[in-house]
Amino acid sequence: MATEAQSSSDPVSRALAFLGELSVDLEGAAIFDQDGALLGGTGENGQAWVEPARRLVAAAAGAEMGPVEQIHVATRDGEVFAVVQSGLTAVAVTDRFVLSSLITFDMRTVLRDLATQHFEAAAGDPATSAGKDEVDG
Amino acid sequence: MTPKPHRVFLDRVSGYADEASAYMRRRRHIRRSFARSYHAGGRSTEHLADTESGAELFEAASELLELARER
Repeated sequence: MATEAQSSSDPVSRALAFLGELSVDLEGAAIFDQDGALLGGTGENGQAWVEPARRLVAAAAGAEMGPVEQIHVATRDGEVFAVVQSGLTAVAVTDRFVLSSLITFDMRTVLRDLATQHFEAAAGDPATSAGKDEVDG
Repeated sequence: MTPKPHRVFLDRVSGYADEASAYMRRRRHIRRSFARSYHAGGRSTEHLADTESGAELFEAASELLELARER
C-alpha cells in the first residue's frame, strides 16, 4: 500500500505504514484521538475521513449498549472496520472478504503500541497535541 | 486395474480443493451486506439497513470506501 504515511517518520505515520504491511488487503486507514481529531491517515485527503468516521462511531454508539469497541460494516464494494482501543480510534477500509479477525487484531496491536507512545509524548510535552485539526461534535 | 497410490492421493487433494473453491463461490454469491458493532462487556448488535443506525453506518461506510479509493 503506497501511502504518504510511509515517507514520514512520526509514530502515527509509522503505525499506518506498519498496518499496511500487516494487512495486504488494506486500502486506506486513519487514526483519531479520543476527541475525534485526526492524528494521521493514508492518502492525501486524510482530513476528509474525519466526518464519516465520526458518524460511523456515533451511529454505533447510538445503540446504547455501552462504549463501542469495534465496528464492522460489509458492503458489496468493500469492508470498513473501526476499532477503539486505549483512547484512540482506527478506521480501516479493505477489499471484500478479508479475514476480519486478523484485520481487527492488527488494528488493536497498532493502536495499543501507538497509544503508549502517544500518551507518553503528550505527558512529556503538553504542546504535542497543538495544531491538530479538531472535529466538530 | 488398481490406481497408483499417488494418483489416489492427488484425486483426494483436488477433491478437497474443488469443494473449497465451490464453498468460496457460494459464500461470495450469497453473502449479504451487514453492519455490526461490538461493545464493552462482550455485547454486540447487528444494525439492519432499514434502521436509523444501520442506514447511518452504511452511508458512512460508503463514504469511507470512496475516500479510500480516490487515491
